[in-house]
Amino acid sequence: MKPVPEPTRRLPLSMTVNGRPIELMVDARKLLADVLREDLGLTGTHIGCEQGVCGACTVLVDGRPVRSCIMLGVQADGCDVTTVEGITPREGLNPMQQAFKDHHGLQCGFCTPGFLMTLAGVTPQEFPDEESIRELLSGNLCRCTGYEGIVVAVMAAWGRDR
Amino acid sequence: MTSRPSHIGANVARVEDDRLLSGGARFVADVSLPGMLEAAFYRSPLPHALIEAVDTDEALQVSGVAGAFTAEDMTDVSPFPDFDQRARPVAIFPLARDKVRYVGAPIAVVVAPDRYEAEDARDLLTVDLEPLDPVVSVDEALAADAPLLFGEWPDNIVIEAPVANPEAMAEFEGRVTVSGRYEVGRHAGVPMETRGVAAEYRDGRLTVWTSTQFPHIARTMLSYCLPLDETDIRVIAPDVGGGFGVKAEFYPEEVTIPWLAMRLGRPVRWIEDRREHLIAACHARDLVLDLEAAVDGDGRFRAVRGMAIQDLGSAEMYPYGFSPAFTAVGHITGPYRIPHQSVGVIAVATNKTPCGAYRGFGIPEAAFAMERLMDKAADHLGIDRRQIRRRNLIGPDDLPYTTSAGAIVDSGSHREAFEETVRLTSERLDRWRARLADDPHVRLGSGVVNYIEGVTPTYYFTSGHWTSFDSCTIRMNPDGTALVSVGVSTSGQGLESMLTSLAAEALGVRRDQVRVVMGDTDRTPYGLGSWGSRSTNVASGALREASSLLLEKATRIAAHLMEASPDDIEVYGGRFNVRGSPGMSVTWQQVATTANIRTIDLPEDVKPGLEAAATYDPPGIEHNPDQYGRLNSSATYTNASHGAVVSVDVGTGKVRVLDYIVGHDCGTVINPQIVRGQVVGGIAQGIGGALLEKLHYDEWGNPLSTSFLDYHLPTTTEIPNMVVRHFESPAPAMPWGAKGAGEAGIIGPAPAIAAAIEEALSDLGVAEITRTPITAPDVLSLVFSGGGQEHPG
Repeated sequence: MKPVPEPTRRLPLSMTVNGRPIELMVDARKLLADVLREDLGLTGTHIGCEQGVCGACTVLVDGRPVRSCIMLGVQADGCDVTTVEGITPREGLNPMQQAFKDHHGLQCGFCTPGFLMTLAGVTPQEFPDEESIRELLSGNLCRCTGYEGIVVAVMAAWGRDR
Repeated sequence: MTSRPSHIGANVARVEDDRLLSGGARFVADVSLPGMLEAAFYRSPLPHALIEAVDTDEALQVSGVAGAFTAEDMTDVSPFPDFDQRARPVAIFPLARDKVRYVGAPIAVVVAPDRYEAEDARDLLTVDLEPLDPVVSVDEALAADAPLLFGEWPDNIVIEAPVANPEAMAEFEGRVTVSGRYEVGRHAGVPMETRGVAAEYRDGRLTVWTSTQFPHIARTMLSYCLPLDETDIRVIAPDVGGGFGVKAEFYPEEVTIPWLAMRLGRPVRWIEDRREHLIAACHARDLVLDLEAAVDGDGRFRAVRGMAIQDLGSAEMYPYGFSPAFTAVGHITGPYRIPHQSVGVIAVATNKTPCGAYRGFGIPEAAFAMERLMDKAADHLGIDRRQIRRRNLIGPDDLPYTTSAGAIVDSGSHREAFEETVRLTSERLDRWRARLADDPHVRLGSGVVNYIEGVTPTYYFTSGHWTSFDSCTIRMNPDGTALVSVGVSTSGQGLESMLTSLAAEALGVRRDQVRVVMGDTDRTPYGLGSWGSRSTNVASGALREASSLLLEKATRIAAHLMEASPDDIEVYGGRFNVRGSPGMSVTWQQVATTANIRTIDLPEDVKPGLEAAATYDPPGIEHNPDQYGRLNSSATYTNASHGAVVSVDVGTGKVRVLDYIVGHDCGTVINPQIVRGQVVGGIAQGIGGALLEKLHYDEWGNPLSTSFLDYHLPTTTEIPNMVVRHFESPAPAMPWGAKGAGEAGIIGPAPAIAAAIEEALSDLGVAEITRTPITAPDVLSLVFSGGGQEHPG
């Protein structure tokens, strides 16, 4: 009988993160969120549940919002990954971040990068009114704000009437 | 009064926001040190069991594993002291000794280079547990033959404080009585950031990063439990991702992780996962208020009596999980003129996660019970539910009003806020009636409720140890900027921003000249942290006192530099100006440079340096109750009225909160946007607790709500837009007239929504709603039975 081979423990991972090409060896089982946070030091991506529910760990993979706590790092091989650090200008804030600040769209800020990345990964035209914006954001949990400031901020940033 | 100061009442941008928005914040999970190890806990899978043996051999064989430990290894650790002599001692130990009393209790810990490996090795532990019969409810716990959680006790009662006030009892003679048993279900604060601890022991000093609301209390507790002097312990609360009371408890892991760092000589970190959080961080509520009121025929309440019955879980929580029950009793009459009360407390240990603090801290439970009882009395007497409240509400002429619980309500807009909330709620209800008139499945209803909230309370009643003061130090740097350090500690409320504004106000400088430091015991003066809606009051009191000391000295220096009299100096616009001599002034920079560097220019009787420290203990707080449980527990009292407009789908049982109206009074508003954020966020949590959130257990004590798939937090689609009207009744004795605002919002939703659902279903003859959460199946069973609210499970 052929012996069962040992599972491959570490694998090479090659991806683009926030515009920079990255090459590294990672544990095959390591979550993308942990690769970003620990191997790359991008601690703006937060882990709130490790169950894919709360949305705090949302990043963009090839432009689409993804829960990085339920995706393996090696699954991002060859992909283009963007985190909250990647959408932040060198000086100041981007318009959506500024709208969150102006409209008190955050308190403790732990969930905030996840909301920002969900918003960064969609086409605003597809969300013309408050109801559709609330539906879009219903997969991100916030425990502080009651969502009011967040919804108001998005409406303002996207020029929607309230 | 002079004209309104410039920074107060203004929506100024938060200084915290840029780092939080850009990914630049530092939460405890972001603390990473060279050589750091990660810990994973083995937690009890059984609700009640004896620990027979723990075999770590196999786990220790895993390469990289730095250690596996149980309570037996912690020979140099002391249990948490039991301070409150009224309660039976629990002697919490960081890892369970001999016995476990809830699923989730930490039994062993494994340390490895990363969490993945630590969990691998943790799963190789062999833990031999001898199951004991579990006790899962208060009734089971109080049964004559109940298994005992603490073998040395004669029963499962942690604390019992019956009250028999003869004045209250006399009111019941010959009067109409109304009674009910009101239960607020077990739920919890559930911050988005779980708990977490990192620790490093280096050069004889221990540094602990922990996601806490009270770093100084955590340090003192560590000094009680570990063989270290307090000066050799530094506790840092970095950015904290929400607290809501969950992090105003001192936890076993906050001892274990530092102990591991000392034992192993390497930094150690533990970040709680969500499953751990839902079974091992404190639960809350789970309180029954069994009440009876004596009422006059016109609806005026004369007295209330009964018991607060708390299911404490295992009771292994400090500060004490029974304190919310006492706080509920202290708020039982709300803003109503009810002359007498006689309400006792009994708190009982069961084999569930120990209860602790959650925003509102007993007051939501009190409001649910009293408001439900008031609705019941109104219905019984045939009085309109709004009208009965008018007959009982305290009015401006009653103030200051001492409640039957001993609370001295110094100010407020109780009637005004109520009438405005009633008006707006009716308006909104009419609008929805017009909009949804054609939907045969949907019924509409509204409810309006009132409450008061004691803010800035004594901690003696909760901790049996600490009291109520806090502190502030201000250091003027030579360039005229100010370093303001305080004993309170933020978990997202915007305290840095609020204190920046107040410091700028008090010192007459720009906001960007102020830097606020908090959450680090090495860099801040001793204080009790942030909970109980206290920070605005205590930190501003200490800040105002420190500013005043600083200004006195700075004024003398400025006067000397200008050869003027100190009596003629006025501070504004960042300068010391001579009254009546326009253009004659010196800057803070000149004064601070003189004090710190060019000391040769100081007046002869003024010493170098420009730094001031002050403490503030809010006046009027009592720390011990009288024989009937009465005390003025808090520095001041806010008031609010809440109105809910709901739709009930009689086909599915789904309740939607369509509109939510608040008339809110927290005295002087320092930053309207921040206050609104606190109120709205609290209401969202209150709606969650009213309709969605419950920590379920099966009949054997197994937790069933262990992920966000079975513990439902409200999302954007469940929380409506809100109408918030601010009323401002300044607190006469508080700095700037402000009252804390952190907890208010969460108190009103459960009774307001319950009343609204009842109104919506009133034509079906449904029974009274007496329990939360009110889930869709509960509503359906109300609809189908035309009475009787049944909770499945």
